[in-house]
Amino acid sequence: MLFVSVSDGGLVGRCISSAVIDKDRLTQAMGVCGGWPPSTALPMFVLVCLVSNISIPPVAFMLSTQLNPMTEDNRLAPNCICQLKRSVTNVLKDGRRVVVILDMEVVKSADEVAGKIGEPQPYVEGESSAHTAFLTITISYGLGGQKLNKCSMNKGPSRAFGGKKGMPPSAMPSTPGGSSKVVPIASLNPYQSKWTIRARVTNKSNIRTWSNSRGDGKLFYMEIVDESGEIRVTAFTQEVDKFYSIIETGKVFYISKGSLKIANKQYSSLKNDYEMTLNGESTIIPCEDTQDVPMVQCNFVSIADLQAREKDTILDVIGVCKSVSDVTRLNTKNNREVSKRTLNLMDQSGKLVEVTLWGEEAETFDGSGQPILAIKGAKLSDYGGRSLSASFSSTIMVNPDIPEAYKLRGWYDKEGHSMAGESLTEARTGGGGGGNTNWKTLADIKTEHLGHGDKADYFSCIATIVYIRKENCLYQACPSQDCNKKVVDQQNGMFRCEKCDKEFPNFKYRLILSANIADYGDNQWVTCFQESAEAILGQNAAYLGQLKDSNEAAFEEIFQQANFHTFVFRNRVKLETYNDESRIKATVMEVKPVDHKEYSKRLIMNIRKMASAQ
Amino acid sequence: MAVFESPKPRINHSMLSQYISRAICFVGRVEKVHPTGKSFTLSDGEGKSASVELNEPLDEELSGVVEVVGVVSNKGAIMASAYNMLREDQGILFDLELYNEALKVIHEYPQHYPFELATSG
Repeated sequence: MLFVSVSDGGLVGRCISSAVIDKDRLTQAMGVCGGWPPSTALPMFVLVCLVSNISIPPVAFMLSTQLNPMTEDNRLAPNCICQLKRSVTNVLKDGRRVVVILDMEVVKSADEVAGKIGEPQPYVEGESSAHTAFLTITISYGLGGQKLNKCSMNKGPSRAFGGKKGMPPSAMPSTPGGSSKVVPIASLNPYQSKWTIRARVTNKSNIRTWSNSRGDGKLFYMEIVDESGEIRVTAFTQEVDKFYSIIETGKVFYISKGSLKIANKQYSSLKNDYEMTLNGESTIIPCEDTQDVPMVQCNFVSIADLQAREKDTILDVIGVCKSVSDVTRLNTKNNREVSKRTLNLMDQSGKLVEVTLWGEEAETFDGSGQPILAIKGAKLSDYGGRSLSASFSSTIMVNPDIPEAYKLRGWYDKEGHSMAGESLTEARTGGGGGGNTNWKTLADIKTEHLGHGDKADYFSCIATIVYIRKENCLYQACPSQDCNKKVVDQQNGMFRCEKCDKEFPNFKYRLILSANIADYGDNQWVTCFQESAEAILGQNAAYLGQLKDSNEAAFEEIFQQANFHTFVFRNRVKLETYNDESRIKATVMEVKPVDHKEYSKRLIMNIRKMASAQ
Repeated sequence: MAVFESPKPRINHSMLSQYISRAICFVGRVEKVHPTGKSFTLSDGEGKSASVELNEPLDEELSGVVEVVGVVSNKGAIMASAYNMLREDQGILFDLELYNEALKVIHEYPQHYPFELATSG
């Protein structure tokens, strides 16, 4: 048995007796102990020990599995004095307390201790109750042949009582008002529901709302970190109202009684098998004592290593913001405006990479004075070779209070500031300012298997038209403003549009051009629609339609003239399957004249890059 | 003249000394025109000046970027056979610095730019 005295600091006690109870009592006890599912039956040593002459509420002490060897090799024997270094106290429904011992050390082994020590003083906790002598039970299962030691009435060391005097300081901070001690985030699991953690909020999302057939809902999520790790926390509906305003990024809180479940890796790249959801029983209390809680958990990748990483990887970076551009505004496909800002990040590897910030981060970012910038959860892209994007779920820290930042500052002030830095991101030049240009050659379509993925691939290339098919390049379309559907000739002078469900006495000609374009390495059949077709042929569809019917020769001449012109093509490629046959289908999204200056600069840069890579 | 029978390497000022007595092509910006109109100076993409001498005096105003075809004299001047003025009021503005970068690449990797081998047999 363990004689243990409970004090604020580490628990020190002496083993006084142990006993084995049968399986039924075990199941009963297990059931009472905070709902641990019997299926997780770990060969746990459960030492339920009580103290004589001491009036404290019933306390059970359980040894967690990793400490089992201590009993097996008899380190833990009656009369030894042990110090509980780390433990978690859970309060059961009936008020009994269970202390789970995570780490324990034998301060004085049994043979070193000669019998009883001193006179035990009564320990009074709050409301005092009469002396009670309890039975101590040791449950051991899964390990046969445990020696039973004779029970002997012992009195504990007097210094065990009365607070921290003479006690080695505890590693565990005390919780305000609560009965639970703080556990590390790394120890959270779905099988324990009564715990408290102390963590700092590193990222907090906005409130997201949705409305579907089942009704309305809202949520917000956050990422929290402590010394042991990190975890994602989500709050729904009522919990949003309860906690959203309390939570502040950068602040530390005590959080307890959330539900844990397996993490959905799709939504979060945090290192934790589980994620947490706040429920009706959860509590969040601000914590003042924040010294031990780290600001953030980061695993920084050197900028030079980014070259070797795969695109779309989420990773953490830190560097000096060598230069920053002004914020620009773009229109998205849904016609929404979004702010964007690019900057160049450099680290001790001497390499530079372009980072794009979005939204509010882009607007509020101040790059003056070459600050140290750390980004957690940045996305690596192959745009321009290699570049980074800080998404809405990334955490951006300017001049963070971490050792890596100080190292960078020192390096930069000494040598970094005079280095030009070699950029992993190709400089974007030429017209179209904010556009993302993914330059490829036609041969790359095959070698890089463009279009083979789930989504279509978009790229730009410079190519020359070598053939344009003039048969079936025009079709009769619905004359309505926004409708381009092919109309059916009713043969009575009327044309019917199925989409508009109307008949018209006229139609408008539209172009669908099938052309072959080529560059030095390969050629590619592409389809061009109205705008790009008109740009290539240099005539509008209506005129061409008219010419086709009236002047065949002139019509053909237009196609001849259009041949062998070189353009910048922006293409969309996708692998499509028709009846067992898969083929790459390429569509021209846009045709532009070649910007020779931009092209030359790009070629020279590529040549220099290739030469230095050898 | 023999000058027009073979492809002429494009060079800038720093390469003049290596091409003495050879036909070359030099592109530069007009700096000064001699009052007689029989010679002028061009500055290349690196800002260095070369002297160009003509057989007949100029019959027009020379300005902007000019492309000269000629032979390098042993004094490092270019004895011009023909010139071509790249008019600044037409077309895209010529980027002399970019041209110089391209020139450096061509000369650094002659194995990839075998212009000399294009001479007719």
